[in-house]
Amino acid sequence: MTSTDIESSTPLPRPVGLLRRLASDSTVLIAGGILVTIVAASLLAPFIAPYDPYETGYAPFIPPAFMEGGTSEFLLGTDQQGRDLLSRLLYGTQATLLTGLLGVFFGGGAGVVLGILAAYFKKFDPPIMRFVDVLLSFPAILFGLAIAAVIGPGIVPIIIALSIATVPDVARVTRSTAVVVMSQEYMEAGRAIGLSDRHLIIRYLGLNCIGSVFVFLTLRFGQVILIGAALSFLGLGARPPMAELGMMAAQGRDALFFAPHISTIPSLAIFMIVLCANMLGDALRDALDPRMRNM
Amino acid sequence: MGQQIAYRLLLSVPVLLGVLVFGFLLLKLAPGDPAMVVAGPSATPDVVEQIRKEMGLDQPTLVQFWRYISRVAQGDLGRSMINNTSVAEELALAMVATAELMIACLAWAVPAGIAMGTIAAVFQRGLIDRVVMAFSVAGVSMPVFFIGLLLMQYLGYKWQLLPFLGRGGPLWTLEGLRHITLPAMTLGFIFVGPVARMTRASVLDVLKADFIRTARAKGLREKTVIIRHALRNALIPVVTLVGLQAGYLLGGAVVTESIYSWPGVGRLAVGAILASDMPLAQGAILSLAIAFLVINLIVDLLYGLLDPRVQHR
Repeated sequence: MTSTDIESSTPLPRPVGLLRRLASDSTVLIAGGILVTIVAASLLAPFIAPYDPYETGYAPFIPPAFMEGGTSEFLLGTDQQGRDLLSRLLYGTQATLLTGLLGVFFGGGAGVVLGILAAYFKKFDPPIMRFVDVLLSFPAILFGLAIAAVIGPGIVPIIIALSIATVPDVARVTRSTAVVVMSQEYMEAGRAIGLSDRHLIIRYLGLNCIGSVFVFLTLRFGQVILIGAALSFLGLGARPPMAELGMMAAQGRDALFFAPHISTIPSLAIFMIVLCANMLGDALRDALDPRMRNM
Repeated sequence: MGQQIAYRLLLSVPVLLGVLVFGFLLLKLAPGDPAMVVAGPSATPDVVEQIRKEMGLDQPTLVQFWRYISRVAQGDLGRSMINNTSVAEELALAMVATAELMIACLAWAVPAGIAMGTIAAVFQRGLIDRVVMAFSVAGVSMPVFFIGLLLMQYLGYKWQLLPFLGRGGPLWTLEGLRHITLPAMTLGFIFVGPVARMTRASVLDVLKADFIRTARAKGLREKTVIIRHALRNALIPVVTLVGLQAGYLLGGAVVTESIYSWPGVGRLAVGAILASDMPLAQGAILSLAIAFLVINLIVDLLYGLLDPRVQHR
């Protein structure tokens, strides 16, 4: 990269007053508020869940309290095995969020490493980007099927599949940011005073790329949750009796026509989480780049 | 352009090889002795040994892999471990069903999305725009199975309007059409949003162009300007979006098939994995992966055909 390369030497955009701009957006406040409540409730599940999520001794198919035939004892009713749905919902949300977060974390981490290596070491660039292209040519669901076929259904294959599906896009975003950072003067200065590659990569490149990767991952989080839930719904994810939203929705299918709440409530919870995550992501993108508002 | 395609083709070769290695390993990983499975429970050790020789299982792994590749190249994907049917035959039927579902979905979701996106762009920041955008965000945030279970519960069961289990026959028969309606509606629902969003952004972009100002200055009616001049140019990114979203659509199709017992590849693959039927799972994953390699190539080609400017980049 030469210093005459105009395009890549443009300074990085600085989000001035980003938080203030975000906080003045009512969508952000509502979506953020709901999401924070959901996350807090799922984290506090052991303390606020009225019953043990695995306890099966109650009457099955009790509808939620607000519906005909419901009782205030079980606010969201019970499932087909007589377990309290509210308690399972709280624990299930925890499992679903954790699966998505771990997928984003591992996939994002691997993507950042690949993207930075490709930008820093020119000789690694072609092989890494070819590998990324290969990953991009297959949909996430196919990775899910393939990994579940090899190691059998469970939470672990889902996390691996979500990670693999996250890697290529993150690698691309990181690389394009890192290429810009590489042309900044402080990189040159760091190299001139004899800093090691490791120091330059971690302290100079890495820290400067994390911001854009974080924004990107926020945009993607909703989709990752949806893919994970879909794989669980298919039976390739969490194993019973564990509570996980996608699996709970699948288990409620048999009772769909006489106790629809068993599958509707977990589905609705996934919808709320993803909707809030998507709205937050859109708002974040608009705040960072107002030109994107029309997209 | 030619370079782009050459690059894609070159890239496909190692990927294809990787996919084949994966399929081969999946078969090797299968629990139990394949020769025993073929021979059946009452076979004597001598018979099993003979079958093992016939199947080439006594050969080194590399030789076995070579045999595997040549078998796959001839369209022989082995036999299902559960019901001993030909994997290739089952897959061929399932591929047709999945293709039907995807086409039925695109047939309504793409026009609906384009119409919604165009109207939203024309009335930018108006009420219709807000409704379309809200619908679009809701569409991409809904789990497919939620839409499916809701439609099945109301349109299928409560109001008895449409059948919701399996395939009713070929698409040109009334029963076939009635059976595909709910699955196609479900799958289309997650696709209308992205198409509408893309169309809206693209139309808004084109409306700023000079040739639109010229068209208006010529005194053309607004309807003609929008449909003839703006929409035609705005559709290029929309078409590419449809191609690029094939993977997203497949993800939805796998779930949709499972909900409505639609006999497609997705349902076949999931069923095979859950039953540890490795030959069937291997065949399904292999053919899906190859289908995606082909789809990506076609999308790349379409890029150049639809937008000649791509060639000069």
